[in-house]
Amino acid sequence: MSDFVEQCRTEWKRLGVPDSIAEEMQSDLASDIREAEADGIAVEELLGSSASDPRAFAASWATERGIVPMRSGRANRRRGRLALIAFTGVAATALIVAALLLATGEPKVGLAPSRATPPPHFLGATASFVPPPSRVQASAAAPIEWMLLCLAIVALGFSAWLWSRWDRPRVPTAPAQ
Amino acid sequence: MQCMANEGRHSQMLRGVLDICLLAVLDAGPAYGYEMTKRLRERGLASVGEGSIYPLLGRLERDGLVDTYRAASNGGPPRKYYRPSSAGRLALAVGVSEWRAARDAIDAVLAPVKIEVVS
Repeated sequence: MSDFVEQCRTEWKRLGVPDSIAEEMQSDLASDIREAEADGIAVEELLGSSASDPRAFAASWATERGIVPMRSGRANRRRGRLALIAFTGVAATALIVAALLLATGEPKVGLAPSRATPPPHFLGATASFVPPPSRVQASAAAPIEWMLLCLAIVALGFSAWLWSRWDRPRVPTAPAQ
Repeated sequence: MQCMANEGRHSQMLRGVLDICLLAVLDAGPAYGYEMTKRLRERGLASVGEGSIYPLLGRLERDGLVDTYRAASNGGPPRKYYRPSSAGRLALAVGVSEWRAARDAIDAVLAPVKIEVVS
């Protein structure tokens, strides 16, 4: 079975198309693709631009047949896209905030108070040579800014991976013998 | 760019009449999906543009414009055959009239134009 047909079947299953109907559509599609390829006709010629997006093709076919609700497939994709946009936005905002905090140096927030720096009133005459408590605190404990930066980078990487999968054209391969 | 625009127009024009074209090729006799593609090709419609005939066949079936049955194809596995229902034949007749009226009107508008790209 070709990768294209396999992905259609997966999409029908996700949409809740009954097995018997999915089986029928899958069988007809696979037979047609095989026959077309035997005639020297590429899948792209048989299916038009749908050949590059099996999920959309499968959803469209099932929807037009009236097997799944008219808006189900498109609505799910729209909701997924909105969620992905929101996730990317939050990750990008976190990255910018973390970068700004690290660049400006203020405010520094430590996870644990630093024990290396005594309170200022114990330092006496040398107090003017000691860095501000916030600086010492930041270097002694893992600052939240760095953690936020790391998390934001990981989140953006994950987001980029999701986008690449979302927009990736799914080129069918030759059917398995 | 211009080529892409022309392909887009071709697709858009086809989208409006592909159902009539399918009913027309089915009027010649029952056929399964790929067989319809071959008939369209034989009549000069090599590409169906952006779409595909399968969702459209699904819609025709849902709207009761085609009847279906499963039968063995020539030496191949059983296929789903489509044939126009009585409502489908009526839709074909109406569609052909509408197409011819639209084509004549557009031809009348375009007739004075003397420039043309020969492909």
